[in-house]
Amino acid sequence: MTATLPSRRTEPAAEDRAQGKRRANRAWFLVLPVVVSVAFTAVIPLMTVVNYSVQDIFSPDDRLFVGLEWFRSVARDPEVRAAFVRTLLFSAQVLLLEIPLGVAVAVVMPRRGLGVPAALVLVALPLLIPWNVVGTIWQIFARPDIGLGGWAVNNVLGLDYNYTLDAGDAWITVLVMDVWHWTPLVALLAYAGLRSIPDPYFQAAQIDGASAWATFRHIQLPRLRGVLTIAILLRFMDSFMIYTEPFVVTGGGPGNATSFLSVLLSKIAVGQFDLGPAGAFSLLYFLAVQIVCYVFFTVLTRTGR
Amino acid sequence: MPDWMVWTGPTAAVFVGLGLLLCGMAIWARISPPVSRRGFLRIETDRGDRLYIGLISAAAVLAGWIAVTDLSMWLALAVAFLVVLAIGMWG
Repeated sequence: MTATLPSRRTEPAAEDRAQGKRRANRAWFLVLPVVVSVAFTAVIPLMTVVNYSVQDIFSPDDRLFVGLEWFRSVARDPEVRAAFVRTLLFSAQVLLLEIPLGVAVAVVMPRRGLGVPAALVLVALPLLIPWNVVGTIWQIFARPDIGLGGWAVNNVLGLDYNYTLDAGDAWITVLVMDVWHWTPLVALLAYAGLRSIPDPYFQAAQIDGASAWATFRHIQLPRLRGVLTIAILLRFMDSFMIYTEPFVVTGGGPGNATSFLSVLLSKIAVGQFDLGPAGAFSLLYFLAVQIVCYVFFTVLTRTGR
Repeated sequence: MPDWMVWTGPTAAVFVGLGLLLCGMAIWARISPPVSRRGFLRIETDRGDRLYIGLISAAAVLAGWIAVTDLSMWLALAVAFLVVLAIGMWG
């Protein structure tokens, strides 16, 4: 008698749990559209690229299995290796410039009043411009003869600057263009992060007599970890895949000073229509992006836990 | 499968293998839910994390191998397999 009572009491709870579980399982159907669209837009194309990468394809009916030959030739191609180093260097410089600069902009942006919408709109402007238009703007802006920027550097600063002739100038032009285009993204993310810090933190810092730097270092920066993780990942991936802007401004030149991985890849895939090598190239490229992103993500989300 | 996907036997086998691996992991998780722990990677991982890290590392081993040496790729595959095993067991 005493033994049956507790079990009878727990029965409704167990039933509730089972029903809850069924309901939770049914929620998986809501994910189905995403699964289907990802399958169509990512998984199937990726499988096709894998299939390309092990064959020499002349047409769907006329193809030859070559094993890992394309991987070998792509991984040992000095041009690909140079482009890889170049792209990695570019991404590192982009992160080193844009992340601190974006945080700095976010810190000095107004926190209340009419200045807020004005600053937000001003900062967001570069983000609204399509990539190829950004490229066109900078291609003209940086020209030493008719571009305001290029003219000013040559005639006001007195430097010898011409991005169509000098490799260093071309590199700096693409880098500055990227900083101009994408620092606002970091700034907006950091600004959102800063705005989410409750006021009592700052009041406590004020009572303790903390300097502006101490407040930033010990209150604002730690609370920015989440948004900065996203900003670093987005900016790394985007700069590692940069294509349109250098393509429009420099076309990968002069020589191949600004031919990044994606510029080279599209030359092989679309220009020469070498599907096999392009497939192998894409997969190695994809692997590099995966590894760097996973390491960043792990370091940024798991340290201190 | 559509023609334009230009399937080959080996790539099909790889994807079927991956699919089976994922299904196997899902069933295993159902039977005994994964437990997070810390190994030589010094981050908290469950077995799914370690499988992912292992597979990515294996791919890196294979890519590095083919980039620098002419030794047999079967040897590379063996090393990659050991890497997956080591990360899965002690990572």
